[in-house]
Order: sequence, then C-alpha cells, then structure tokens
Amino acid sequence: MAPTTPVLEVRGLVKEYPGVRALAGVDFEVRPGEVHCLVGPNGAGKSTLIKCVSGAVEPTAGEIRMDGQPVTTGDPSRALERGVATIYQERDLVEDLTVAQSIFLGHERRRWGLLDRGRMRRETVEILRRLNHEAISPRTYVRDLRPAGQQVVSIARALSRHVRLLIMDEPSAILDDSEIETMFGVVRRLTAEGVGVIYISHRLDEIRRLGDRVTVLTDGRTVASGLPATTSADQLVELMVGRKVGQLYPERRRGNGTVVLEVRGVRRLPDVKHASFEVRSGEVLGIGGLVGAGRSELLRAIYGVDDREVGEVMVDGRRVPPGRPDRSIAAGLGLAPEDRKSQALLLDWNLIKNVTLADVGRFQRGLIRTRAERGAAEEQLRALGTVPADGSRIARELSGGNQQKVVLARWLLHQCRVLLLDEPTRGVDVATKAQLYRLIADLAGRGLGVVVVSSELEELCGFCTRILVMREGELVAEVDGAAATELELLRHAMPDTQEMLASGVPVPAGVAADEAQEEA
Amino acid sequence: MPMTPAEPVSGVTAIPDGEGPPPGVGRLALPSRIKLQEYTLVVVVLALVVIGAILEPDTFPTADNLRAILTQASVVGVLAIGMTFVIATAGIDLSVGSVVAAAGIAGGLVVDSGAVAFVAAAIGFGLGLGLVNGTAIAYGKVVPFVATLAMLAIARGLALLMSDKSPISLLSSDGVRWFGTGEIVGVPVSIVIFAAIAIAGWILLNRTRYGRHVVAAGGNREAARIAGVPVRRVVFSVYCLSGLLAGLAAVLLSGRLASASPVAGELLELDAIGAAVIGGTSLAGGRATIVGTFLGVMVFAIMFNLLTQLDLATEWQQIVKGAIILGAVLIQRPERI
Repeated sequence: MAPTTPVLEVRGLVKEYPGVRALAGVDFEVRPGEVHCLVGPNGAGKSTLIKCVSGAVEPTAGEIRMDGQPVTTGDPSRALERGVATIYQERDLVEDLTVAQSIFLGHERRRWGLLDRGRMRRETVEILRRLNHEAISPRTYVRDLRPAGQQVVSIARALSRHVRLLIMDEPSAILDDSEIETMFGVVRRLTAEGVGVIYISHRLDEIRRLGDRVTVLTDGRTVASGLPATTSADQLVELMVGRKVGQLYPERRRGNGTVVLEVRGVRRLPDVKHASFEVRSGEVLGIGGLVGAGRSELLRAIYGVDDREVGEVMVDGRRVPPGRPDRSIAAGLGLAPEDRKSQALLLDWNLIKNVTLADVGRFQRGLIRTRAERGAAEEQLRALGTVPADGSRIARELSGGNQQKVVLARWLLHQCRVLLLDEPTRGVDVATKAQLYRLIADLAGRGLGVVVVSSELEELCGFCTRILVMREGELVAEVDGAAATELELLRHAMPDTQEMLASGVPVPAGVAADEAQEEA
Repeated sequence: MPMTPAEPVSGVTAIPDGEGPPPGVGRLALPSRIKLQEYTLVVVVLALVVIGAILEPDTFPTADNLRAILTQASVVGVLAIGMTFVIATAGIDLSVGSVVAAAGIAGGLVVDSGAVAFVAAAIGFGLGLGLVNGTAIAYGKVVPFVATLAMLAIARGLALLMSDKSPISLLSSDGVRWFGTGEIVGVPVSIVIFAAIAIAGWILLNRTRYGRHVVAAGGNREAARIAGVPVRRVVFSVYCLSGLLAGLAAVLLSGRLASASPVAGELLELDAIGAAVIGGTSLAGGRATIVGTFLGVMVFAIMFNLLTQLDLATEWQQIVKGAIILGAVLIQRPERI
C-alpha cells in the first residue's frame, strides 16, 4: 500500500430517505495520520455520512473505498473488520458494566468457551496505558466515571479492535476545556500511528487546534472539501450558512435592577460544598468551571430537583423551600437542564404540551381549553423564532437549538423571574448558537435574571455580565464579563492536581478499592 | 402535500433545521400513531361484527346479544380504564383481579346492612388496597410489577380468609342485584356505569391537568419533575384510582352473579392489560388512549361472544386472544428507517 492512498475515499455519495435527500453527492477523503474535520449546520448530513461509512446505513448511490478497496456498504460488521471505529455523540456505554467488560463487549476474549477475564483486564490496562489513562481501573463501573472518563472508555473500546479510521461525532460536547486537551492528546497519539480520524464538531476553535483539513457540509453537499485547518472561523461559518452571519455575541447586558435571586450558603455534598451569590434583574450571570466542579449540581440544588442540605434560596426576597421544583416554579424559577432530551422534554409529545407542561392548570376552567392552550404556546414559540412554530409538531423532530427554544418558551409562558440555563448551547451549531445568545440577552433585557452554566468559557466571556468560577464544589472567583478572558477563567477553574481529570470518582489505583468494588 | 416551512419570526439566521427526520417528513405523517391504532381497531371491531353476522345471522346481530356483549365487557372495561392510567405512568397493576374478589367479599360481609353498605364497602376496600399499592410504589420505591404481584397474592388471600373460602350469596339484596339486572331507561345498569367511567376517564386523561401530569410522569419522569409535576403524588394516585375501579368492578360482577366469590376475577388483570395494550397505550409509559382501551375491550368481548356462539372451546378463545395481543403489539413497534 502506497503511503499516499487515503484511508477513506468517498465519491458521489447519495442517501435518500422517503421524500428527502439527506446526502446529495458528497466527496470526502481521509489520509492516513490526518485529522479531517467535518463541519456543517444541524441537518447538513454529517450524521448520515458517518452512518454510511460505519455501515449503519446503506447509501442510495456512490462509492466508499477504504485503503483503495471498494467496500460493501450497509454492513456494520464488515466496516468493523476493515477498521472503522465510531464514537458517537451520545455515550453508548452500558453503565452497569465495568470498564473491561465495556471495552470487550461484543468481542469478549474467551478460553475453553469461558470468558478470559484476566486477559481482558490485562489488555484493558494496556490500552488505557496507550491512551495515557492508566488511572482508570478496568474494574471500575462505567457509571462511576465522569463523562470524560467514559469517553476514554469509548475510545479504548475502539482501539481494542484493529483501527484504521476513527470517527468522532462531537466528542467534546460533554467535556470541559482541560478534558478536551487530554482527549486531543489521545487523538494525536493515534494519528502518529497512522490512523485516520474524522472529527465532527460545532466548536470551530477545535479545528485549528487539532485538525489538519476541514470539509464543510451543507444540505447534504460538500460545499468545500479539504480546506486547510487554518481557514478562519468566519470563513467557515459563511460557507456553512451561505452568507455572512451577524456578530456572534449580542451586546452585553448590564444588570442594574434589583436582586431577583439570592443564594445563601447552599450545600449538597459531595458536589456542592458552599455557594452564595446574587443575581440581579436584567443581568446574565455566567458560571464557569471544569466538568465535575459541581455547576449543574448547584443549579439543581437551587431549583430543588435535588435536595440541599443547608442554605437558603430567595426569589424576590421570598424563601423557596428545598427539594420542591413545583414550589420553585411557583416562586418564579425556571430550569433548562443540561440534557434537553432526557431532562426537559417529552419527545413524543407535541410542542404545545411541552410548552405548557409547567403551567397547564392556567388553561383549565373545569376542563383544559385546548384552543387557548395552543394559542398561548404558539405565541411563545413564535416570539422565540422556533422553527417550526407549529405547535402540533412532535418535539423529537426538532433540532437541538429549536428544542432548547421550546424549553425556554415553557418558562416564558410561566413568566418566570429567574432562568437557570445549564449548557444552553450544547450540541447546537454556530449560527443557532448566535441566535440563542441573542435570545438569552433579550430575556435579560426584559428584566429576567439569567444564570448560564457553560463549559465553553469563550461563550461566557462573550456575553455574560459577570462570571463566577466554580472549582471542586465552591465558587472561587468572580470576574467582570467585559474584562474576562478564557485564560483567566481557566486558571481559576483548574484544581491543584490534575489527577481527577482521568477518572471521575476518586478511585485509587490501589487493590483494596478494586476488591471492594468487585464485592459490591 | 408538504407545506412550505414556516419562516422564523425573529432570530438572526434561518438554516436548515432538524437532525433526524428532515423537514417535511414529519409533516407528511398524517395521523399520530395512537390515532392510527384507533382507526385500525374500529376496522377490526367492524370486521368482527360482519363476520359474526355472516356466521351466526340469527343469534349474533341482535339487540339482546349486543346487550350481552356490553354487559360482559363492563367488568373488564372498568378495570381497563383504571389500568390505562396506571400504564400511562409506566406502571402496571397485576392485582386488580384479586382486588375484585377481595372487594366483593368485603361488600358481601356487610350486605345485610343494605346495598349502599355493600357498595361502599366494596369500593372502599378496593381503594384501600390500591392505596397500599400506591404507597409501596410511589413512596416505598418498590417496582410496580413486584408491588402489585405481592398484592395479587395478598388480596386473594384476604378474600379467602374473609369469606372462609366459600362464596357469599347476595340473592337477598335486590339493591345489589340491580347492578346486574337493573336498567336505566332501558339500558342495563352495568353498561351505563361502564360508559360513564369511560367518558369520565377520557375527560380526566385528555382534558385536565391531572391527566396531563399522569402521562408526563410516565413519558419522562425527570422532565416532568423539573417542570413541576408532583410525580410521586401522581403515581400514588393512579394505583388508588385502579383500586377504586376494581372495587366498582366487584360491584358489577357480584350484582350479575348475585354472589361474591373469593375466587372471582382470576386473570382479569391480564384482560385489562391486554385491552389497554392493543388499544395503543404504551407499556413504556407516556402514551395512553382511553378510546383505544375501550375498543380493545370491545374486541375481546365481541370475539369471546362470537367464539362462544360458534361453540369453540375456551382453549381456542385463549389462543385467539393471545394472537390478537401479539398482533397489536407488532403493529405498534416503533418504525426504524
């Protein structure tokens, strides 16, 4: 095999679903040892493309070659044999298995027909060492690992087979900045071994940091293929959207109103040790920090999804009882949780019911007046620019950005006073992100207090009034939004030791802990 | 015909939206899955009626037989309405058959004090057992399958214990027998009650906040909680409702048989679950339909009636019933592209 033969060559790939062309002729190639980034708005066909390559979906027309050989399409097991490994956006690990069991799931090592657990554990340790994550024990349960740790396991699983091409679909979505750096290290090791990598991300800064080349996909077509990774972000966004996008961040809000939310000494161990802060009407307060610093947990404790051990929460000067989301809502709090699909929406319901869920009683005079309900829900959806604003559509069919708007519409309908937004732009493309930033700023402009938790320090610096930094369960710094830099935030956010990055739980590599886990 | 996608009213950019089913596809999906299921069942019911009319033209398509079918259906029907609420929360109530027996016996013990006492005791006892189920599940965090399986045994045991293992005759109470033989403007009482419960159930599920909360609790517990739905209270309440309706079913059954038997109602829970499931209510929760349940009950009842008239033995009835459940669930499978 000549060294110039691409690992993957895709020519004229077409995939049609009933009534829709998801891919309308895509050309794409990945060379050995390169990281080829794939960008495009939601619905551009990125997922369909990688599904075709991984064999999960049978293309309608076109050719896929690996190492110069045409491949049988639509057969995942053949793709695996050829060395295609895919790490999907959603974590696809079985949480109740151990690390070693997860890695060898589906191709367990056996001896005399029985599982060769010793060998699988040894090989697991070896692979994890290759990834520089020997701190993760093969006997740890997947559920006890942080997202970054789980992702390392996903990558390790890919490496447990012969890998020629690694496909990563938004691997950074669930990681914070320093964890991303660790993951980049892993990817660089693999490319040094000659593995080709397809890297899909909405975070354009990552392309420059990690990628060699970029391909832009829009409406199922490659609008630009094999651009150098140094292509500017503005240029990429223009290619994606087909025209110039306005400024990414809206004007920074200055909260000068009265205090709407007051948090006093909230504690919920082990994640939240101590947190006190105030939010003023009209301001956007950012909370940054590393994944695992306790930011989401803090929001959940304030809102009452999780009980708080001590501490007070006051909305408009009135105390909100702990552990009662319904009472928090009545007091004027609204939470847009981290994971829209699993925590915020009823995916099989239409938009109307999703919007009015927190507030159905309002439309009930004896019985629910469905026309009034629909009118009110659609009014909010329209005001937020949701596409479609048709309330009878099913939530599942909407893109991430529009699903987020449905959640926001719910709280606007309720006329809440304080919005707690947990990772509001996760998994959303750049253009939609810009929309959401503007919306959030507008809400603050209407006098709401807004709290935004985000792992993307850049966006916090971009539009927050003030930024709090959380580290290991405590708020350690407050920075003025206009003056904040990513570097400064990161410095506050970094713990003294780096060890926690590798594995979630403070599981020592010691044997005693392993034994205890095995028995449990 | 696909409509043009709505333009965003505000916002900076319009970009092609919707990962998953791309724009346009969803719009073409005409009726929702529940609606489709209901239309299918209507067709099945009509087909059964036509088949019956052809095979037994003298005895099947008569007013008397229709009454017989509906009367027969009323006991399972009342249970199935309660079961629909339980299943909507992603739960299950395996105990209703036994609760029917226990509630009937509880009524029988006080029948000498009059029909009102009988009804109050039966419904009260059913509600009480449902309350135990609800407490165990919502507050004790016992899995519904296990909690109600335990209640299935306990209630049956209570029925045998309270009755000293023998049926209680209710022949002396005209008031109780009225539920089996009486009529309201020419319609048998049990049919009127079944219809009333079905309509009330439909309204409760579709047109009240409570109903919305029930389905939300089953569809996505975490999301419902974050949206302020008192999930525990809702889950607790559906088992109480199911128990209460089991008590009512006991009244209808005892009225018809003019006796309360400790072995009554065996396997009724399976008919109730089966009716709800073939109607389109999802065992995974979050999707429920009273109309579907009603049609499911009717399919079972008509089929039972027809097979009996055709002198097909009960073993055949069981096989056909099972086949219908399997067939309905196969239709319900989520589509995958």
